Amino acid sequence: MIELAPAHKYGLSLPTPVMPAAGTFGYGDAYRDLVESDVLGAIVTNPISLRPRMAARGQRLAVRGGHFIVHTGLPNSGVRTIIRQYRKYWERSNVPIIPHLIATTPGETSRAAVQLSAARGVGGIELGLAENTSEEQAVDLLHAAQEGSGLPIIARVPFGRVEALAPLLAEAGAEALTLTAPPRAVLPIASETLGGGTSDDVCEPTGNEAVRFMRGRLYGPALFPLLLDTLARWATPGPEKLHVPIIACGGIASPEDALACISLGATAVQVDAQLWRNPALLAQIAEGIRASENSTL
Amino acid sequence: MTRQQTATFRFARPSPPYWAARFDVAHPPRPGQFVLADLGGPLREVLFPAFIDDTGFAVMLPPGHPATRLLPGSPIDIIGPTGRGFRPGNAQRLLLVSSADMLPLLLPLLAGAPNNAPFRNGMSFLNGAPSIALVIEGATRAQLPLPEQIPPAVELTLVTLDGSAGYLGPLESQEPAPAGLERVGPYLLELIAWAECACFACNNDRYPALASLVRQVRIQPAPDFAQALVRVEMPCGVGVCEVCRIATRHGEKCACTDGPVFDLLELGYD
Repeated sequence: MIELAPAHKYGLSLPTPVMPAAGTFGYGDAYRDLVESDVLGAIVTNPISLRPRMAARGQRLAVRGGHFIVHTGLPNSGVRTIIRQYRKYWERSNVPIIPHLIATTPGETSRAAVQLSAARGVGGIELGLAENTSEEQAVDLLHAAQEGSGLPIIARVPFGRVEALAPLLAEAGAEALTLTAPPRAVLPIASETLGGGTSDDVCEPTGNEAVRFMRGRLYGPALFPLLLDTLARWATPGPEKLHVPIIACGGIASPEDALACISLGATAVQVDAQLWRNPALLAQIAEGIRASENSTL
Repeated sequence: MTRQQTATFRFARPSPPYWAARFDVAHPPRPGQFVLADLGGPLREVLFPAFIDDTGFAVMLPPGHPATRLLPGSPIDIIGPTGRGFRPGNAQRLLLVSSADMLPLLLPLLAGAPNNAPFRNGMSFLNGAPSIALVIEGATRAQLPLPEQIPPAVELTLVTLDGSAGYLGPLESQEPAPAGLERVGPYLLELIAWAECACFACNNDRYPALASLVRQVRIQPAPDFAQALVRVEMPCGVGVCEVCRIATRHGEKCACTDGPVFDLLELGYD
Protein backbone atom coordinates (compact mmCIF):
# COMPACT_ATOMS: atom_id res chain seq x y z
CA MET A 1 0.00 0.00 0.00
CA ILE A 2 1.14 3.53 -0.66
CA GLU A 3 -0.16 6.63 1.02
CA LEU A 4 -0.90 9.69 -1.09
CA ALA A 5 -2.17 11.90 1.73
CA PRO A 6 -0.14 11.09 4.84
CA ALA A 7 -0.98 14.38 6.51
CA HIS A 8 -4.71 14.18 5.89
CA LYS A 9 -7.11 12.94 8.55
CA TYR A 10 -8.62 10.33 6.22
CA GLY A 11 -5.51 9.60 4.18
CA LEU A 12 -5.61 8.15 0.67
CA SER A 13 -4.18 4.65 0.58
CA LEU A 14 -3.70 2.96 -2.77
CA PRO A 15 -3.06 -0.75 -3.27
CA THR A 16 -0.67 -0.05 -6.14
CA PRO A 17 1.04 3.14 -7.30
CA VAL A 18 -0.52 2.89 -10.77
CA MET A 19 -3.52 4.77 -12.04
CA PRO A 20 -4.90 6.15 -15.28
CA ALA A 21 -4.53 9.85 -15.95
CA ALA A 22 -7.53 12.12 -16.10
CA GLY A 23 -9.22 12.11 -19.47
CA THR A 24 -7.97 8.69 -20.52
CA PHE A 25 -10.11 6.19 -18.62
CA GLY A 26 -13.65 7.54 -18.52
CA TYR A 27 -15.51 7.41 -15.25
CA GLY A 28 -14.48 3.92 -14.22
CA ASP A 29 -16.31 1.27 -16.16
CA ALA A 30 -15.35 1.86 -19.79
CA TYR A 31 -12.34 -0.46 -19.62
CA ARG A 32 -13.97 -3.06 -17.38
CA ASP A 33 -13.61 -5.76 -20.05
CA LEU A 34 -9.98 -4.91 -20.85
CA VAL A 35 -8.37 -3.88 -17.54
CA GLU A 36 -8.55 -5.83 -14.30
CA SER A 37 -9.34 -3.31 -11.60
CA ASP A 38 -7.09 -5.07 -9.08
CA VAL A 39 -4.01 -3.80 -10.94
CA LEU A 40 -5.07 -0.22 -10.30
CA GLY A 41 -4.22 1.90 -7.32
CA ALA A 42 -7.05 4.27 -8.03
CA ILE A 43 -9.27 5.41 -10.86
CA VAL A 44 -8.83 9.02 -11.86
CA THR A 45 -11.93 9.97 -13.80
CA ASN A 46 -12.43 12.09 -16.86
CA PRO A 47 -12.72 15.81 -16.09
CA ILE A 48 -15.92 16.80 -14.32
CA SER A 49 -17.37 20.30 -14.06
CA LEU A 50 -20.18 21.66 -11.94
CA ARG A 51 -22.36 22.23 -15.00
CA PRO A 52 -22.57 20.25 -18.24
CA ARG A 53 -20.02 21.18 -20.89
CA MET A 54 -20.41 20.61 -24.60
CA ALA A 55 -17.67 19.21 -26.80
CA ALA A 56 -15.45 21.56 -28.74
CA ARG A 57 -16.43 22.07 -32.37
CA GLY A 58 -14.23 21.23 -35.29
CA GLN A 59 -11.25 18.95 -35.40
CA ARG A 60 -10.32 17.34 -32.12
CA LEU A 61 -7.37 15.13 -33.01
CA ALA A 62 -4.18 15.70 -34.97
CA VAL A 63 -1.45 13.10 -35.30
CA ARG A 64 2.16 13.73 -36.26
CA GLY A 65 4.77 11.03 -36.08
CA GLY A 66 4.58 9.38 -32.69
CA HIS A 67 2.70 12.27 -31.14
CA PHE A 68 -0.80 13.61 -31.24
CA ILE A 69 -2.79 16.45 -29.80
CA VAL A 70 -6.34 16.26 -28.55
CA HIS A 71 -8.76 19.11 -28.09
CA THR A 72 -12.17 18.08 -26.80
CA GLY A 73 -13.31 21.04 -24.72
CA LEU A 74 -13.51 18.65 -21.73
CA PRO A 75 -17.15 17.75 -22.39
CA ASN A 76 -19.05 16.16 -19.55
CA SER A 77 -22.62 16.00 -18.35
CA GLY A 78 -21.99 17.84 -15.10
CA VAL A 79 -21.22 16.61 -11.62
CA ARG A 80 -24.79 15.83 -10.62
CA THR A 81 -25.53 13.67 -13.66
CA ILE A 82 -22.19 11.91 -13.53
CA ILE A 83 -22.64 10.99 -9.88
CA ARG A 84 -26.13 9.71 -10.61
CA GLN A 85 -24.86 7.70 -13.56
CA TYR A 86 -21.79 6.16 -11.91
CA ARG A 87 -22.74 6.10 -8.24
CA LYS A 88 -23.27 2.34 -8.11
CA TYR A 89 -20.05 1.58 -9.94
CA TRP A 90 -18.07 3.88 -7.67
CA GLU A 91 -19.64 2.32 -4.58
CA ARG A 92 -18.65 -1.16 -5.70
CA SER A 93 -15.17 -0.18 -6.83
CA ASN A 94 -12.43 -1.96 -4.91
CA VAL A 95 -10.05 0.95 -5.46
CA PRO A 96 -10.55 4.61 -4.58
CA ILE A 97 -12.23 6.82 -7.15
CA ILE A 98 -10.48 10.14 -7.68
CA PRO A 99 -12.73 12.46 -9.68
CA HIS A 100 -10.84 15.02 -11.73
CA LEU A 101 -12.55 18.31 -11.02
CA ILE A 102 -12.22 21.12 -13.54
CA ALA A 103 -11.31 24.15 -11.45
CA THR A 104 -13.16 27.19 -12.79
CA THR A 105 -14.13 29.59 -10.01
CA PRO A 106 -13.80 29.06 -6.27
CA GLY A 107 -17.58 29.02 -5.87
CA GLU A 108 -18.17 26.40 -8.54
CA THR A 109 -15.21 24.36 -7.40
CA SER A 110 -16.47 24.29 -3.84
CA ARG A 111 -20.00 23.32 -4.85
CA ALA A 112 -18.78 20.53 -7.12
CA ALA A 113 -16.38 19.27 -4.45
CA VAL A 114 -19.22 19.08 -1.93
CA GLN A 115 -21.21 16.85 -4.26
CA LEU A 116 -18.27 14.66 -5.21
CA SER A 117 -17.19 14.09 -1.64
CA ALA A 118 -20.68 12.88 -0.75
CA ALA A 119 -20.46 10.06 -3.28
CA ARG A 120 -19.40 6.75 -1.76
CA GLY A 121 -16.21 5.33 -3.15
CA VAL A 122 -14.61 8.71 -3.76
CA GLY A 123 -11.29 8.77 -1.89
CA GLY A 124 -9.94 12.10 -3.01
CA ILE A 125 -10.27 14.78 -5.65
CA GLU A 126 -7.80 15.77 -8.32
CA LEU A 127 -8.04 19.46 -9.05
CA GLY A 128 -7.40 20.33 -12.69
CA LEU A 129 -5.89 23.79 -13.06
CA ALA A 130 -5.87 25.62 -16.36
CA GLU A 131 -2.63 26.75 -17.94
CA ASN A 132 -3.47 30.40 -17.36
CA THR A 133 -4.33 30.06 -13.68
CA SER A 134 -2.55 32.71 -11.62
CA GLU A 135 -0.81 31.90 -8.35
CA GLU A 136 -3.52 33.62 -6.35
CA GLN A 137 -6.31 31.86 -8.24
CA ALA A 138 -4.63 28.48 -7.79
CA VAL A 139 -4.50 28.85 -4.02
CA ASP A 140 -8.08 30.11 -3.91
CA LEU A 141 -9.26 27.15 -5.98
CA LEU A 142 -7.35 24.70 -3.81
CA HIS A 143 -8.83 26.13 -0.63
CA ALA A 144 -12.32 26.12 -2.17
CA ALA A 145 -11.98 22.44 -3.01
CA GLN A 146 -10.66 21.64 0.46
CA GLU A 147 -13.42 23.52 2.20
CA GLY A 148 -16.04 21.90 0.00
CA SER A 149 -14.96 18.31 0.28
CA GLY A 150 -12.94 17.46 3.34
CA LEU A 151 -11.24 14.80 1.21
CA PRO A 152 -7.59 14.83 0.19
CA ILE A 153 -7.02 17.21 -2.71
CA ILE A 154 -4.47 16.39 -5.38
CA ALA A 155 -3.56 19.37 -7.52
CA ARG A 156 -2.67 18.64 -11.13
CA VAL A 157 -0.18 21.28 -12.15
CA PRO A 158 -0.16 22.63 -15.71
CA PHE A 159 2.98 21.70 -17.62
CA GLY A 160 4.20 25.25 -18.08
CA ARG A 161 3.41 26.41 -14.54
CA VAL A 162 5.28 23.94 -12.35
CA GLU A 163 7.83 26.45 -11.13
CA ALA A 164 5.18 29.03 -10.29
CA LEU A 165 2.47 26.80 -8.87
CA ALA A 166 3.89 23.55 -7.50
CA PRO A 167 5.75 24.97 -4.47
CA LEU A 168 2.87 27.33 -3.80
CA LEU A 169 0.24 24.59 -3.86
CA ALA A 170 2.34 22.30 -1.70
CA GLU A 171 2.76 25.11 0.80
CA ALA A 172 -0.96 25.93 0.63
CA GLY A 173 -1.94 22.45 1.72
CA ALA A 174 -2.40 20.26 -1.35
CA GLU A 175 -2.08 16.67 -0.14
CA ALA A 176 -0.31 15.61 -3.33
CA LEU A 177 0.64 17.02 -6.71
CA THR A 178 0.28 15.50 -10.15
CA LEU A 179 3.22 16.56 -12.31
CA THR A 180 2.11 17.43 -14.87
CA ALA A 181 -0.97 18.00 -16.98
CA PRO A 182 -0.30 17.45 -20.69
CA PRO A 183 1.38 20.47 -22.28
CA ARG A 184 -0.56 22.54 -24.76
CA ALA A 185 0.75 22.30 -28.29
CA VAL A 186 -0.11 23.33 -31.81
CA LEU A 187 -0.03 21.31 -35.02
CA PRO A 188 -0.90 22.20 -38.59
CA ILE A 189 -3.92 20.28 -39.80
CA ALA A 190 -5.09 19.17 -43.20
CA SER A 191 -7.89 21.15 -44.72
CA GLU A 192 -9.91 17.98 -45.40
CA THR A 193 -10.18 15.99 -42.20
CA LEU A 194 -12.66 13.71 -40.54
CA GLY A 195 -15.26 15.70 -38.72
CA GLY A 196 -14.65 18.75 -40.87
CA GLY A 197 -15.36 22.24 -39.70
CA THR A 198 -13.09 24.70 -38.03
CA SER A 199 -11.82 24.19 -34.54
CA ASP A 200 -12.85 26.82 -32.05
CA ASP A 201 -9.36 26.68 -30.58
CA VAL A 202 -7.05 27.36 -33.47
CA CYS A 203 -4.24 29.74 -34.11
CA GLU A 204 -5.39 32.15 -36.74
CA PRO A 205 -3.30 31.82 -39.88
CA THR A 206 -0.97 34.69 -40.49
CA GLY A 207 -0.26 35.48 -44.07
CA ASN A 208 -0.67 31.96 -45.40
CA GLU A 209 -4.38 31.22 -45.48
CA ALA A 210 -3.76 27.68 -46.73
CA VAL A 211 -2.34 26.58 -43.38
CA ARG A 212 -4.68 25.85 -40.50
CA PHE A 213 -3.67 24.90 -37.01
CA MET A 214 -5.08 23.07 -34.08
CA ARG A 215 -4.19 23.59 -30.44
CA GLY A 216 -4.70 20.94 -27.78
CA ARG A 217 -3.22 18.61 -25.20
CA LEU A 218 -0.04 16.94 -26.41
CA TYR A 219 0.53 13.22 -25.88
CA GLY A 220 3.46 11.09 -26.94
CA PRO A 221 6.85 9.71 -25.99
CA ALA A 222 8.61 13.10 -25.95
CA LEU A 223 6.73 13.96 -22.77
CA PHE A 224 8.62 11.32 -20.83
CA PRO A 225 12.08 12.95 -20.77
CA LEU A 226 10.37 16.24 -19.91
CA LEU A 227 8.64 14.47 -17.04
CA LEU A 228 11.94 13.07 -15.78
CA ASP A 229 13.44 16.54 -15.92
CA THR A 230 10.55 17.85 -13.83
CA LEU A 231 10.87 15.04 -11.31
CA ALA A 232 14.63 15.47 -11.08
CA ARG A 233 14.10 19.05 -10.01
CA TRP A 234 11.03 18.82 -7.80
CA ALA A 235 10.89 15.27 -6.44
CA THR A 236 14.49 14.28 -5.76
CA PRO A 237 16.28 15.40 -2.60
CA GLY A 238 17.58 18.92 -3.00
CA PRO A 239 16.74 22.51 -2.19
CA GLU A 240 13.65 22.56 -4.38
CA LYS A 241 12.20 19.17 -3.40
CA LEU A 242 8.50 19.37 -2.72
CA HIS A 243 7.51 17.79 0.56
CA VAL A 244 4.26 16.27 -0.65
CA PRO A 245 3.71 13.04 -2.57
CA ILE A 246 4.28 13.49 -6.31
CA ILE A 247 2.30 11.62 -8.94
CA ALA A 248 4.25 11.40 -12.18
CA CYS A 249 2.31 11.81 -15.42
CA GLY A 250 3.44 12.24 -19.00
CA GLY A 251 4.48 9.76 -21.65
CA ILE A 252 4.96 6.77 -19.34
CA ALA A 253 4.87 3.83 -21.72
CA SER A 254 6.49 0.86 -19.95
CA PRO A 255 7.21 -0.59 -16.51
CA GLU A 256 10.77 0.70 -16.88
CA ASP A 257 9.46 4.22 -17.39
CA ALA A 258 7.35 3.96 -14.27
CA LEU A 259 10.28 2.62 -12.25
CA ALA A 260 12.42 5.51 -13.47
CA CYS A 261 9.81 7.96 -12.20
CA ILE A 262 9.63 6.25 -8.83
CA SER A 263 13.41 6.19 -8.54
CA LEU A 264 13.35 9.96 -9.08
CA GLY A 265 11.02 10.42 -6.13
CA ALA A 266 7.53 9.95 -7.53
CA THR A 267 5.14 8.22 -5.16
CA ALA A 268 2.82 7.00 -7.90
CA VAL A 269 2.43 7.15 -11.66
CA GLN A 270 -0.41 8.00 -14.00
CA VAL A 271 -0.60 6.48 -17.44
CA ASP A 272 -1.97 8.85 -20.04
CA ALA A 273 -3.19 8.25 -23.57
CA GLN A 274 -0.70 5.41 -24.04
CA LEU A 275 -3.36 3.15 -22.59
CA TRP A 276 -5.69 3.80 -25.52
CA ARG A 277 -3.20 1.88 -27.58
CA ASN A 278 -2.28 -0.62 -24.90
CA PRO A 279 -4.86 -1.09 -22.13
CA ALA A 280 -2.67 -3.87 -20.68
CA LEU A 281 -0.03 -1.26 -19.87
CA LEU A 282 -1.57 -0.59 -16.46
CA ALA A 283 -1.23 -4.24 -15.49
CA GLN A 284 2.26 -4.45 -16.96
CA ILE A 285 3.41 -1.45 -14.92
CA ALA A 286 1.79 -2.74 -11.74
CA GLU A 287 3.50 -6.10 -12.24
CA GLY A 288 6.83 -4.45 -13.04
CA ILE A 289 6.71 -2.37 -9.87
CA ARG A 290 5.71 -5.37 -7.78
CA ALA A 291 8.55 -7.44 -9.22
CA SER A 292 10.98 -4.62 -8.56
CA GLU A 293 9.85 -4.31 -4.96
CA ASN A 294 10.16 -8.06 -4.44
CA SER A 295 13.67 -8.12 -5.87
CA THR A 296 14.64 -5.21 -3.61
CA LEU A 297 13.38 -7.09 -0.57
CA MET B 1 -18.60 -6.52 -24.14
CA THR B 2 -15.37 -5.07 -25.50
CA ARG B 3 -12.96 -7.75 -26.68
CA GLN B 4 -9.24 -7.65 -27.15
CA GLN B 5 -8.25 -10.40 -29.54
CA THR B 6 -5.47 -11.40 -31.87
CA ALA B 7 -6.17 -11.32 -35.58
CA THR B 8 -3.98 -12.87 -38.23
CA PHE B 9 -3.12 -10.74 -41.22
CA ARG B 10 -3.52 -12.79 -44.40
CA PHE B 11 -2.83 -10.55 -47.36
CA ALA B 12 -3.10 -7.11 -48.87
CA ARG B 13 -3.54 -6.70 -52.58
CA PRO B 14 -4.47 -3.82 -54.87
CA SER B 15 -8.15 -3.38 -55.50
CA PRO B 16 -8.22 0.01 -57.25
CA PRO B 17 -8.65 2.63 -55.98
CA TYR B 18 -8.03 0.83 -52.67
CA TRP B 19 -5.98 -1.99 -51.27
CA ALA B 20 -7.91 -4.93 -49.87
CA ALA B 21 -6.47 -6.40 -46.67
CA ARG B 22 -7.72 -9.60 -45.11
CA PHE B 23 -7.65 -10.49 -41.41
CA ASP B 24 -8.66 -13.79 -39.81
CA VAL B 25 -10.19 -13.36 -36.39
CA ALA B 26 -12.45 -15.33 -34.07
CA HIS B 27 -15.02 -12.56 -33.66
CA PRO B 28 -15.31 -10.47 -36.81
CA PRO B 29 -17.23 -7.17 -36.80
CA ARG B 30 -20.72 -6.84 -38.21
CA PRO B 31 -21.53 -4.28 -40.93
CA GLY B 32 -20.92 -0.77 -39.60
CA GLN B 33 -18.98 -2.00 -36.58
CA PHE B 34 -15.23 -1.54 -36.43
CA VAL B 35 -12.08 -2.82 -34.80
CA LEU B 36 -9.09 -0.89 -33.48
CA ALA B 37 -5.88 -2.45 -34.73
CA ASP B 38 -2.47 -1.83 -33.23
CA LEU B 39 -0.32 -1.33 -36.31
CA GLY B 40 2.58 0.38 -34.59
CA GLY B 41 1.41 3.99 -34.68
CA PRO B 42 0.79 6.16 -31.63
CA LEU B 43 -2.90 5.34 -31.83
CA ARG B 44 -4.77 2.28 -32.99
CA GLU B 45 -6.13 2.31 -36.53
CA VAL B 46 -9.89 2.16 -37.00
CA LEU B 47 -10.77 -0.59 -39.49
CA PHE B 48 -14.28 -0.92 -40.89
CA PRO B 49 -15.05 -4.22 -42.62
CA ALA B 50 -15.84 -4.22 -46.31
CA PHE B 51 -16.32 -7.99 -46.51
CA ILE B 52 -17.19 -10.31 -43.63
CA ASP B 53 -17.35 -14.06 -43.23
CA ASP B 54 -17.29 -16.50 -40.33
CA THR B 55 -13.52 -16.57 -40.09
CA GLY B 56 -12.59 -12.95 -40.51
CA PHE B 57 -13.02 -9.80 -42.51
CA ALA B 58 -11.43 -7.70 -45.20
CA VAL B 59 -10.99 -3.95 -45.24
CA MET B 60 -10.46 -1.50 -48.07
CA LEU B 61 -7.56 0.81 -47.34
CA PRO B 62 -5.92 3.72 -49.10
CA PRO B 63 -2.59 2.95 -50.78
CA GLY B 64 0.28 3.32 -48.34
CA HIS B 65 -1.80 2.44 -45.28
CA PRO B 66 0.35 0.69 -42.63
CA ALA B 67 -1.68 -2.51 -42.98
CA THR B 68 -0.61 -2.86 -46.60
CA ARG B 69 2.97 -3.37 -45.43
CA LEU B 70 2.27 -6.19 -42.97
CA LEU B 71 3.74 -9.63 -43.52
CA PRO B 72 1.22 -12.42 -44.15
CA GLY B 73 0.72 -14.40 -40.97
CA SER B 74 1.50 -11.47 -38.70
CA PRO B 75 -0.50 -11.45 -35.46
CA ILE B 76 -2.33 -8.17 -34.97
CA ASP B 77 -3.66 -7.03 -31.63
CA ILE B 78 -7.16 -5.68 -32.10
CA ILE B 79 -9.79 -4.25 -29.81
CA GLY B 80 -13.30 -4.98 -30.92
CA PRO B 81 -15.57 -5.53 -32.68
CA THR B 82 -17.09 -2.50 -31.13
CA GLY B 83 -19.77 0.07 -31.76
CA ARG B 84 -23.34 -0.14 -33.00
CA GLY B 85 -23.40 -1.23 -36.60
CA PHE B 86 -26.13 -1.18 -39.21
CA ARG B 87 -29.37 -2.76 -38.13
CA PRO B 88 -31.33 -3.62 -41.28
CA GLY B 89 -33.31 -6.24 -39.39
CA ASN B 90 -35.57 -8.22 -41.66
CA ALA B 91 -36.04 -5.47 -44.20
CA GLN B 92 -36.84 -6.95 -47.59
CA ARG B 93 -36.27 -3.69 -49.46
CA LEU B 94 -32.95 -2.20 -48.51
CA LEU B 95 -31.71 1.14 -49.84
CA LEU B 96 -28.00 1.92 -49.57
CA VAL B 97 -26.77 5.44 -50.30
CA SER B 98 -23.10 6.28 -50.34
CA SER B 99 -20.55 8.71 -51.61
CA ALA B 100 -17.95 6.88 -53.67
CA ASP B 101 -15.18 7.30 -51.10
CA MET B 102 -17.28 5.74 -48.38
CA LEU B 103 -18.71 2.87 -50.41
CA PRO B 104 -16.55 0.22 -48.65
CA LEU B 105 -18.44 0.93 -45.44
CA LEU B 106 -21.68 -0.27 -47.04
CA LEU B 107 -20.27 -3.23 -48.96
CA PRO B 108 -20.91 -5.76 -46.17
CA LEU B 109 -24.63 -5.05 -46.51
CA LEU B 110 -24.50 -6.26 -50.09
CA ALA B 111 -23.69 -9.74 -48.80
CA GLY B 112 -27.39 -10.33 -48.31
CA ALA B 113 -28.12 -9.75 -51.98
CA PRO B 114 -28.80 -12.85 -54.06
CA ASN B 115 -25.89 -13.43 -56.41
CA ASN B 116 -27.71 -14.81 -59.39
CA ALA B 117 -31.24 -13.60 -59.12
CA PRO B 118 -32.09 -10.61 -61.29
CA PHE B 119 -33.79 -7.61 -59.72
CA ARG B 120 -37.11 -6.76 -61.33
CA ASN B 121 -39.70 -4.23 -60.27
CA GLY B 122 -38.24 -3.82 -56.86
CA MET B 123 -38.50 -7.48 -55.88
CA SER B 124 -35.89 -10.18 -55.77
CA PHE B 125 -36.68 -13.53 -57.35
CA LEU B 126 -35.12 -15.35 -54.41
CA ASN B 127 -37.45 -15.74 -51.48
CA GLY B 128 -36.05 -14.42 -48.24
CA ALA B 129 -33.18 -12.43 -49.74
CA PRO B 130 -33.61 -8.69 -49.54
CA SER B 131 -33.89 -6.56 -52.62
CA ILE B 132 -31.14 -4.02 -52.53
CA ALA B 133 -30.91 -0.68 -54.28
CA LEU B 134 -27.51 0.99 -54.16
CA VAL B 135 -26.97 4.67 -54.95
CA ILE B 136 -23.38 5.81 -55.33
CA GLU B 137 -22.36 9.41 -55.80
CA GLY B 138 -18.98 10.50 -57.12
CA ALA B 139 -17.60 13.79 -58.28
CA THR B 140 -17.06 12.37 -61.72
CA ARG B 141 -17.34 9.12 -63.63
CA ALA B 142 -13.77 8.12 -62.82
CA GLN B 143 -14.57 7.95 -59.10
CA LEU B 144 -17.39 5.47 -59.49
CA PRO B 145 -16.92 1.71 -59.24
CA LEU B 146 -17.37 -0.40 -62.31
CA PRO B 147 -20.89 -1.88 -62.41
CA GLU B 148 -19.45 -5.41 -62.69
CA GLN B 149 -17.94 -4.95 -59.22
CA ILE B 150 -21.43 -4.87 -57.76
CA PRO B 151 -23.53 -8.05 -57.44
CA PRO B 152 -25.88 -8.27 -60.43
CA ALA B 153 -28.98 -8.53 -58.29
CA VAL B 154 -28.34 -5.13 -56.79
CA GLU B 155 -30.12 -2.27 -58.50
CA LEU B 156 -27.30 0.17 -59.05
CA THR B 157 -27.81 3.89 -59.46
CA LEU B 158 -24.83 6.05 -60.33
CA VAL B 159 -24.72 9.76 -59.59
CA THR B 160 -22.05 12.24 -60.60
CA LEU B 161 -21.67 15.85 -59.68
CA ASP B 162 -20.59 16.79 -63.19
CA GLY B 163 -23.17 14.71 -65.02
CA SER B 164 -20.52 12.55 -66.69
CA ALA B 165 -22.39 9.36 -65.79
CA GLY B 166 -25.79 8.43 -64.44
CA TYR B 167 -27.93 10.97 -62.72
CA LEU B 168 -26.80 14.47 -61.84
CA GLY B 169 -26.03 15.06 -58.19
CA PRO B 170 -25.68 16.05 -55.49
CA LEU B 171 -28.00 13.63 -53.78
CA GLU B 172 -29.82 16.22 -51.75
CA SER B 173 -30.30 18.77 -54.54
CA GLN B 174 -33.85 19.59 -55.57
CA GLU B 175 -32.90 22.14 -58.21
CA PRO B 176 -33.90 21.58 -61.84
CA ALA B 177 -31.22 19.91 -63.91
CA PRO B 178 -29.68 21.52 -67.00
CA ALA B 179 -31.04 20.36 -70.32
CA GLY B 180 -30.01 16.81 -71.19
CA LEU B 181 -29.35 15.78 -67.62
CA GLU B 182 -31.61 14.26 -65.01
CA ARG B 183 -31.36 15.19 -61.36
CA VAL B 184 -31.19 12.24 -58.94
CA GLY B 185 -33.37 13.91 -56.31
CA PRO B 186 -36.82 12.79 -57.48
CA TYR B 187 -35.61 9.23 -58.09
CA LEU B 188 -33.96 9.11 -54.69
CA LEU B 189 -37.25 10.15 -53.12
CA GLU B 190 -38.92 7.25 -54.93
CA LEU B 191 -36.32 4.86 -53.58
CA ILE B 192 -36.76 6.17 -50.04
CA ALA B 193 -40.50 5.64 -50.38
CA TRP B 194 -39.85 2.13 -51.67
CA ALA B 195 -37.39 1.08 -49.00
CA GLU B 196 -38.08 -0.61 -45.70
CA CYS B 197 -34.68 0.45 -44.43
CA ALA B 198 -32.19 3.00 -45.76
CA CYS B 199 -28.51 3.04 -44.86
CA PHE B 200 -26.34 6.05 -45.59
CA ALA B 201 -22.56 6.52 -45.68
CA CYS B 202 -21.64 10.07 -46.64
CA ASN B 203 -19.74 12.95 -45.13
CA ASN B 204 -21.29 13.97 -41.82
CA ASP B 205 -22.15 17.49 -42.93
CA ARG B 206 -24.53 16.11 -45.57
CA TYR B 207 -26.72 14.17 -43.18
CA PRO B 208 -29.07 17.02 -42.19
CA ALA B 209 -29.99 17.57 -45.84
CA LEU B 210 -30.39 13.85 -46.43
CA ALA B 211 -32.60 13.65 -43.34
CA SER B 212 -34.77 16.35 -44.91
CA LEU B 213 -35.18 14.16 -47.98
CA VAL B 214 -36.30 11.26 -45.81
CA ARG B 215 -38.82 13.47 -44.04
CA GLN B 216 -40.29 14.54 -47.37
CA VAL B 217 -41.55 11.04 -48.08
CA ARG B 218 -41.70 9.49 -44.63
CA ILE B 219 -43.69 11.54 -42.16
CA GLN B 220 -43.22 9.25 -39.21
CA PRO B 221 -40.71 6.58 -40.14
CA ALA B 222 -40.04 3.72 -37.77
CA PRO B 223 -36.98 4.11 -35.55
CA ASP B 224 -33.84 3.17 -37.47
CA PHE B 225 -35.65 3.34 -40.80
CA ALA B 226 -32.85 5.62 -41.96
CA GLN B 227 -29.42 4.84 -40.56
CA ALA B 228 -26.26 6.83 -41.12
CA LEU B 229 -22.69 5.90 -40.45
CA VAL B 230 -20.80 8.82 -38.90
CA ARG B 231 -17.09 9.09 -39.72
CA VAL B 232 -15.09 10.81 -37.01
CA GLU B 233 -11.76 10.11 -35.38
CA MET B 234 -12.13 7.41 -32.72
CA PRO B 235 -8.78 7.06 -30.95
CA CYS B 236 -9.89 5.06 -27.90
CA GLY B 237 -12.89 3.09 -29.16
CA VAL B 238 -14.42 2.71 -25.71
CA GLY B 239 -15.93 6.16 -25.18
CA VAL B 240 -13.38 7.70 -22.84
CA CYS B 241 -11.42 10.16 -24.96
CA GLU B 242 -14.42 12.32 -25.95
CA VAL B 243 -12.87 12.99 -29.36
CA CYS B 244 -15.75 11.36 -31.24
CA ARG B 245 -18.61 13.23 -29.59
CA ILE B 246 -21.36 14.20 -31.99
CA ALA B 247 -24.55 16.17 -31.52
CA THR B 248 -27.84 14.29 -31.66
CA ARG B 249 -31.43 14.99 -30.76
CA HIS B 250 -30.77 13.28 -27.42
CA GLY B 251 -27.68 15.33 -26.63
CA GLU B 252 -24.06 14.54 -27.37
CA LYS B 253 -23.15 10.92 -28.01
CA CYS B 254 -19.89 9.07 -28.49
CA ALA B 255 -19.66 7.75 -32.03
CA CYS B 256 -17.47 4.85 -30.93
CA THR B 257 -19.86 3.37 -28.40
CA ASP B 258 -23.29 4.86 -29.18
CA GLY B 259 -22.61 4.64 -32.93
CA PRO B 260 -20.95 4.91 -35.35
CA VAL B 261 -24.29 4.10 -36.98
CA PHE B 262 -27.04 6.42 -35.79
CA ASP B 263 -30.63 7.06 -36.70
CA LEU B 264 -30.24 9.61 -39.50
CA LEU B 265 -33.16 11.65 -38.22
CA GLU B 266 -31.50 12.13 -34.83
CA LEU B 267 -28.27 13.59 -36.16
CA GLY B 268 -27.19 17.17 -36.60
CA TYR B 269 -28.67 18.88 -33.60
CA ASP B 270 -25.56 20.98 -33.08
